[in-house]
Amino acid sequence: MSRIIVVTSGKGGVGKTTCTANLGMALAQRGHKVAVVDADFGLRNLDLLLGLENRIVYTAVEVLAGECRLEQALVRDKRQPNLVLLPAAQNRTKDSVSPDQMRKLVNALTKVFSYILVDSPAGIEMGFLNAIAPAKEALVVTTPEISAVRDADRIVGLLEANGIRNAHLIINRIKPAMVAQDKMMSVKDVQEILAIPLIGVIPDDEKVIVSTNRGEPLVLAADANQRGLAGQALQNIVRRLEGETVPFLDLTPPADDFLARLRRLFRPTE
Amino acid sequence: MNSDFSFPAFSPSAPDEQPPNDDSLAPTADASSSERQDAERQDPERQDAERRDVPQVRLKGESGRLLLLLPPELDTPSAPNTWAEVCQQLNQRLMSGERFWQPHTPVHLIARDRLLDGRQLQTIADTLAAAQLTLKRIYTSRRQTAVAAAMAGFSVEQQSPLAQFNAPEEGKALVEPLYVQSTVRSGTEIRHPGTVIVLGDVNPGGSIVAEGDVLVWGALRGVAQAGSSGNGRCLIMALRLEPTQIRIADFVARAPEAPEQYQPEVAYVSSGGIRIIRAADFARDRTT
Ligand SMILES: Nc1ncnc2c1ncn2[C@@H]1O[C@H](COP(=O)(O)OP(=O)(O)OP(=O)(O)O)[C@@H](O)[C@H]1O
Ligand SMILES: [Mg+2]
Repeated sequence: MSRIIVVTSGKGGVGKTTCTANLGMALAQRGHKVAVVDADFGLRNLDLLLGLENRIVYTAVEVLAGECRLEQALVRDKRQPNLVLLPAAQNRTKDSVSPDQMRKLVNALTKVFSYILVDSPAGIEMGFLNAIAPAKEALVVTTPEISAVRDADRIVGLLEANGIRNAHLIINRIKPAMVAQDKMMSVKDVQEILAIPLIGVIPDDEKVIVSTNRGEPLVLAADANQRGLAGQALQNIVRRLEGETVPFLDLTPPADDFLARLRRLFRPTE
Repeated sequence: MNSDFSFPAFSPSAPDEQPPNDDSLAPTADASSSERQDAERQDPERQDAERRDVPQVRLKGESGRLLLLLPPELDTPSAPNTWAEVCQQLNQRLMSGERFWQPHTPVHLIARDRLLDGRQLQTIADTLAAAQLTLKRIYTSRRQTAVAAAMAGFSVEQQSPLAQFNAPEEGKALVEPLYVQSTVRSGTEIRHPGTVIVLGDVNPGGSIVAEGDVLVWGALRGVAQAGSSGNGRCLIMALRLEPTQIRIADFVARAPEAPEQYQPEVAYVSSGGIRIIRAADFARDRTT
């Protein structure tokens, strides 16, 4: 049975596409056949993050219109032959596809691929409904900000209402030093509101931005130093997805931050 | 007894004409903040007047069977009862009530004047089936719905539209309490013409509107309204009361400062304002 997982968030810019690209790549590295599907019609950029933009010939829209076969639209990744991308059309709006069509497309992919990751657009309108239509599981991405968490909460409710109960939480862009100073919501604060199982905490790391700009997912980097804590956090998510128990990374700020440690020491415990 | 009072509270009824006759009506420290309160108060209030009568999906036990009552179709453009919302409400009600009926309990669908096509009826039947309930019969006042139901193979009874008009709600007793056994998340609004009991949290952005009491066996962080049709004796209680806003009858109060430590609390109306007291003290006051 293939696993169909939607990566979604509500609020924009919190890291859905970054997660989809990296998790897809990491799963492929572990030997699975993986398809990543860009459901962000009109604002696609999964292809950019994967560095595959210049190889797109057809998109999902042409497949649905019967102008090409599904295999023709799939873009294979030269660096990682287990990974393919089904691109979204850039020149169409989110209403040019229906939930039923998304279901059909993804269903066809399940014949070949064991993991299908769907990158959802922000918002709760048609594009979101399309993205979740085929999914059996969800990864809800949020940053530790009140507005992002509020939107993620809404998303979890909508997922439940649409029959997707298997949802896991990814908290992205955590800044340990800020959390230590009480200037940012902590993992615990976020979890207390959202109350769904946590599957990953990704630190804010400029390596992510560099890799985005290069079109090379962080998990592709050869050495651990280059991947950084963010890359390792993403790899850990994949292991947890596969049922392994992996302890969460220790993201407390480095020991030399003496003041922060003192502050932690004197903060009343909840 | 009111030592725990911590909400800035006021009565919205003609606030300008009557000078406050009680300390609890005193506005908060600075003028700008009390203006903000007013603005906050009036806008939602008006929307409420429109939305107050909009019923939601209801499940009601009646002599061994379940009645599934759908909200009537409304013509107003702001009517929130779209098909998607009906589905969402149905799912939520089923999720919350499982403990209260046995598998294979027959369900009678009271569709009133709602237009339902065969596919929608099938969706309802499937949703019920997933909760191990059987759709037994459909009652409708619309010919089209009756035809669609018959074509889809359901047993159906067409009633005259008049029979559908429930007696005016004036002076009616409250319906049985609604159990909500899930987190009420941002964007969800639960309305019920009776008491609402939430086994879980009400998150910021979520809201409960009950004609009776609101009991939250968890953290109340969103908006709660008790006695929504004007009953000032209704109560709001929560294990952790840290709401965005609470209302009882026509009284509104914003969240107090977060206390050092949370404990079960009760909000009630007394001498013209909403007061909050520890649950233990509230019980003592009532019994001694
Ligand atoms: N852990 C991180 N550390 C630093 N930067 C990050 C991190 N995660 C994401 N970013 C940056 O945030 C930006 C937005 O990320 P991304 O495009 O993945 O978000 P999105 O949720 O897909 O956005 P949209 O809603 O527009 O589709 C990118 O520039 C990305 O490099
Ligand atoms: Mg994106």
